[in-house]
Amino acid sequence: MKKLVIEPSKCSPFINFDGDKNSLLIQGESYPENTGEFYRPVFNWLNEYINEIENQEVIVNIELKYFNSSTSKVLMDFFDILDLSAQKNLISVNWIYDSEDEDNLEYGEDFQEDLKNLTFKFITK
Amino acid sequence: MTKSLYTFKENLAKKGVFLCFSGPISHDLMVEMGDVLKLKMQLQEENISTILKVFSLLIEQTQNIMFYSAETIPEPENANNKLHLGIITVSYFNNSYFVQGGNKVKTSDVSRLEEKLSKLQKMSKEEIKEYYRAQRRLTSPKTSKGAGLGFIEVARKSSKPIEYHFKKIDDQFSFFSLKSTI
Repeated sequence: MKKLVIEPSKCSPFINFDGDKNSLLIQGESYPENTGEFYRPVFNWLNEYINEIENQEVIVNIELKYFNSSTSKVLMDFFDILDLSAQKNLISVNWIYDSEDEDNLEYGEDFQEDLKNLTFKFITK
Repeated sequence: MTKSLYTFKENLAKKGVFLCFSGPISHDLMVEMGDVLKLKMQLQEENISTILKVFSLLIEQTQNIMFYSAETIPEPENANNKLHLGIITVSYFNNSYFVQGGNKVKTSDVSRLEEKLSKLQKMSKEEIKEYYRAQRRLTSPKTSKGAGLGFIEVARKSSKPIEYHFKKIDDQFSFFSLKSTI
């Protein structure tokens, strides 16, 4: 499957999705001018990928130093898709955050509570 | 204006305002303001958590202006896009940071906004958190350019209940101010 790589900018994260390695990374800051537009290719890729995989071990690394409220909504939709797919795949999310940023951990734990099948690991850096 | 500019600046300084913009706001301008804010707070050796909270309030409150201000001008390069006008300030006073944003709204929208804001103002931290999660699950309303979570995010990040004010300009427009505290 084709990789999805989007280079980061000041207000949009680095996206590195590698279907062959079952490795998905979102890293940086997220408050793009148009959140829907920025994440459209991300969801297109994800939906295609999810349709293709079964009995796979998938690692999702989320390392967002800052994300705004529109991104929070997008992340919820993103995790919902993965959560459904985690019924037939083993999908773990590594929530990577700065140990001094307790809000970030709280937001990660919020997501975890709202999801059924995804395993969350909280990792400080 | 030339003579009074110093007085104007001094009045801002007296109130602890260290970042202030009034006028049409573009996305790039918001990004730059955010950078300058972080830089300024890093120089004062503020901890990461406080910097990110104030930064987050600046972004949410500025985006609120950019999405919902009733005062607009067409963007020169793309007439279909509009720049929204408002005022945003960040201040430090008595050991607290304050982010204040203001913009024109339609007077006919005031009661709807007031209802939303007073509900948030009365909620406990835990209630705000639950409300945030419930609203995030809902599909955003068609009229909303963001996720419709902006005010809730501001209320959640603010260490004290949010403060707001509506000043009626005329039958068509009112001026909306929103203040959050860290």
